[in-house]
Amino acid sequence: MFAYNFQLAMRSIRQRKYLTVLMVMAIGIGIGLLITVQTMAYHNQKMPLAHKANDIYFIQADNRELGAEPIVQQPYMIYLTHRDAKNLMQGESPATAHTTVWKSDIILNSLSQEIRPFRSATTVTNSSFFSMFDVPFLYGAPWGAQSDINAAPVIVLTKESNELLFGGENSVGKQLRINEHAVTVVGVIDTWDIKRRFYDESYSTSRHDTAFISDSFAIKNNIMRNERLGCLPENRDKRGYWRTNDIQGLINSECNFVRLWAQIDDESNAKEYETYLVNYVNSQKELGRFPREMNNFVTSLHTMVTLANELRSGNDPLSFIAPLFFIVCLLNAIGILLAKFMRKTGEVSLRRALGANKAMLMNQYLLEIIVIGVMGGIVGCVLAYLGLQGMMRVMVYQSDYSVSIENLRHAFSLDFWMISKAVVISVISTVIVGLYPIWRIVNIAPASQLKSQ
Amino acid sequence: MEIRPILLSMKHNKFLSMVISLQVMLTVTVLALAVSITNQTLSQWNMPSGLDHDNIVSVRTQFFDPTVNLEQAIINDVNRIKKIPGVLSVTPNKEIPFDAGRPSRVYLDSGEEAEGHNTNFFDMDENGPTVLGLKLIAGRFYQANEVIRGQASDVNSPSVVMISEDMANELFGQESALGKTLYLSKGNNPAQIIGVYSNFMNGERLNGRGKSYHSVLRPTVNWAHNANPNYLISVEKGAGPRLFDPIQEALYQIPGRYIYGIERLTRTQKRMYDGRGSQGAILLVVSIVLVLIASFGIAGLVSFLITQRRQQIGIRRALGGTKWSVVRYFIVENSILTLAGLAGGLGLTMTFAYIMAQNIGESFLQFDVLLGCLAFVWIINICAVWLPARRAAQISPAIVTRGA
Amino acid sequence: MLKMQNISKIFRTELIETHALRDVNLHIKKGEFVSITGPSGSGKTTFLNLAGLLETFEEGDYFLDGVNVKGMNDNQISALRNEKIGFVFQSFNLIPDLPLFDNVDVPLRYRGLNRKERKERIEHALETVGLSARMQHLPTQLSGGQQQRVAIARAIAGEPAFLLADEPTGNLDSMMAHSVMELLEDINKQGTTIIMVTHDDQLAKRAGRNIQIFDGQVSDINLDSSDVLVKRA
Repeated sequence: MFAYNFQLAMRSIRQRKYLTVLMVMAIGIGIGLLITVQTMAYHNQKMPLAHKANDIYFIQADNRELGAEPIVQQPYMIYLTHRDAKNLMQGESPATAHTTVWKSDIILNSLSQEIRPFRSATTVTNSSFFSMFDVPFLYGAPWGAQSDINAAPVIVLTKESNELLFGGENSVGKQLRINEHAVTVVGVIDTWDIKRRFYDESYSTSRHDTAFISDSFAIKNNIMRNERLGCLPENRDKRGYWRTNDIQGLINSECNFVRLWAQIDDESNAKEYETYLVNYVNSQKELGRFPREMNNFVTSLHTMVTLANELRSGNDPLSFIAPLFFIVCLLNAIGILLAKFMRKTGEVSLRRALGANKAMLMNQYLLEIIVIGVMGGIVGCVLAYLGLQGMMRVMVYQSDYSVSIENLRHAFSLDFWMISKAVVISVISTVIVGLYPIWRIVNIAPASQLKSQ
Repeated sequence: MEIRPILLSMKHNKFLSMVISLQVMLTVTVLALAVSITNQTLSQWNMPSGLDHDNIVSVRTQFFDPTVNLEQAIINDVNRIKKIPGVLSVTPNKEIPFDAGRPSRVYLDSGEEAEGHNTNFFDMDENGPTVLGLKLIAGRFYQANEVIRGQASDVNSPSVVMISEDMANELFGQESALGKTLYLSKGNNPAQIIGVYSNFMNGERLNGRGKSYHSVLRPTVNWAHNANPNYLISVEKGAGPRLFDPIQEALYQIPGRYIYGIERLTRTQKRMYDGRGSQGAILLVVSIVLVLIASFGIAGLVSFLITQRRQQIGIRRALGGTKWSVVRYFIVENSILTLAGLAGGLGLTMTFAYIMAQNIGESFLQFDVLLGCLAFVWIINICAVWLPARRAAQISPAIVTRGA
Repeated sequence: MLKMQNISKIFRTELIETHALRDVNLHIKKGEFVSITGPSGSGKTTFLNLAGLLETFEEGDYFLDGVNVKGMNDNQISALRNEKIGFVFQSFNLIPDLPLFDNVDVPLRYRGLNRKERKERIEHALETVGLSARMQHLPTQLSGGQQQRVAIARAIAGEPAFLLADEPTGNLDSMMAHSVMELLEDINKQGTTIIMVTHDDQLAKRAGRNIQIFDGQVSDINLDSSDVLVKRA
């Protein structure tokens, strides 16, 4: 029976081919836009470092003045001051490792000046960064903990910057300069599939850091702070000076700009860390700091990313236009389907007269609709591929060619999951909208259409 | 007219009628939202620059070597650039037209409560107005001896400034701005306004607030390590791209420097509008595709209805209906459905606009745009019905005698 | 009343020409009840279409109530059809979406009558055919005979000059057929000219005059005198 029904369904699809094509196109175009938008969102919402996202925690405490606006939600929370981050790292904490992150812009150049200077977006951190975030190395290794202590002049490059500076060869042990300071390359990071740059909360999918240096080295040499400095009102006019000229002044101030990450392997330890943080803030309160009510955040990476996703979703007009667009396409398809089925009332009533029961007809038409849904899904995937390619080029244009297609490609690619999603959405929605036309046609009385009017 | 029979026949085709209305409703919603957002996005878009931006080159540099004598470096840079054939004039600068950063505020009096006026400061030497090709509206340009030079950290505020035409209008209205004083920051000495120059585009931030041409020209050249100097260079017509390499070579004469980029202001201008322009284009393309799909779909449904009603149309023709009455029947029928859809679309659009306004924090719905979209969708729908209805009118009344 | 002179109708395809009617000359006077008979394919339907102004003809002249319809445009012909002719079809041809009242209303709408007059006429016509109690029913809720009565009500509501009936009893059983015929005869007695196409000799004989169409040519048989007149040009 299935074979016969399938045969009938295929025959029906071939009959009035243009109606079938119209219907498949309508569904396909709708799916195409929907999947284009959803794929972009999907890549923009991927969980970075998924295997450790529940073990990595972000630590924040509110040291601002009494009059400042209260902060309730984590995504709006300020960072730590340098000394608080440092104190928390050095105390007896339940965390197995800590790392700090702040950003800088440095000019990499060679002593011989044989290559043009190269500006590098840089993360200033410590040696734990590489182990906590499972950073893969192409050449060499991270600097050691000793280098953190003695501010050793070392740098970790990435594949990209190593390509530009040393033509891609093993550069470990080679010298170059950060601005006017000579440093030695200790390692080169391999392609790091990080999905989104979570560690500085930028969640960028297309721009990568090109160098990593140690916090102690940066402080010793006054490497500029490419950060928003959250300072007390009385210190705000000093921010420009502290940003570029006086790092010691900045460190001694109440300005927050340092992100503190902790690795806490057990969830119960996260509770303990909260207590640790409360105790720390209380100890500082005794010194006259932290004038406000206690407001701390110990947030897992997983929670942080989820909150950030919620905050960012729904702001793009396309993300809610696409579903409406899809519904219009479906309505279109249903109209065509109805038209197609209503022309067959004669045939259906004859089949009913000849002994076909409702279930058989139902099967036949469901099959037809499923086949159409699958075809719509496939057309949708092709269109989504084209749509994503187009969107990617728009992004390149929008960034004034400052990001490369290579760096963007991963954020605009269809993977198996999205393709299956496209086909499943297509089939399910086609079946849902097809139910009414099927119900109508299946309920035609046997032979009602046979007698002449 | 024939409203009653049309309504009765809709009752018999409830489902199809609903499909048409729903399509219209969603289409007009998407269209109205897209056009409103685009309209909002593109307001203040591609405004006149007030500059000969094709022939002004901007170069942004930075010294990373702290041993460089910046004062001397700037003098050397300017001299080297001037010598390049094709260069007309050059000035050190900080903010770049089309790319000015966070707005500053100026005040008309020194009191604590003084009202701030948003503007962008452009710091240039005496060649600045020439490089930008600014026209003098009133007063005079500043002289070389009025330019303040020094380290960024300890440079004084200039005692004279020039302001743009729009700035003068905001500050003083019809009154002349010449000789008036302006506080460039609170608690500082005021500067005297010596001239008013023709408007030029400052940048995206003030552009977004409808103050595209508010600027103050400060006769100032200052320097700091890890920051500028930047230069604006006016060049002979069309010479821009050809001069990029010689200018960079000239600047690299001093080691310890990094060049962020060199470009014509045309490209700075492109970058300023890019994001908005392409977002608007995408939304418009999507909504036009949607309108096309919906109108094809509606034309298809009407064709189907007509095929189903061939007999009925024949009867009406036989009973004395003219061809026009047949066309009219379908147009009226479709318009009723369209109007129902438009009414629904109006409600839906307002709902979405409300939700989005909550998300984004600003309302973007314009009623003239909304009404325009409603009318547009209606007209498109009438067009979509027109062709199949014309065909229906060709059905021969003789169909009634050729046994059904 | 109705006068055809040398009317011909030719169907052309690329390959062949078919003469559906040739040189028809016919005169039907006011108040007549004329039956038209002939075998299938003889041109009965074509004749009906021409007489009812549903199709155009190539040659000849057709005077309807003294007006020559030749050369009229579609809108003029539509108006003439609306005012002068009432149709009753074999398959009733009621509009299934509309209740009886609105079905009868259709031609009156095209006439542009005001609401009050339309209402009076519709009620009167439905009363004449004995269905005034079922005005708001849909056609599908009626029997075949009743549907045909509605069709007749629709045809007479416009007070046409003549009524064209195409096999009016063809889809009805004999009981119903009988009552429909009686209704038509009543209408004729009240002065409406009736032209009825049928293949039923019994019915044809009930008409005052019988015209036979055979292979596109018309023979006029006056049943009263039993004379056979063959008209040929």
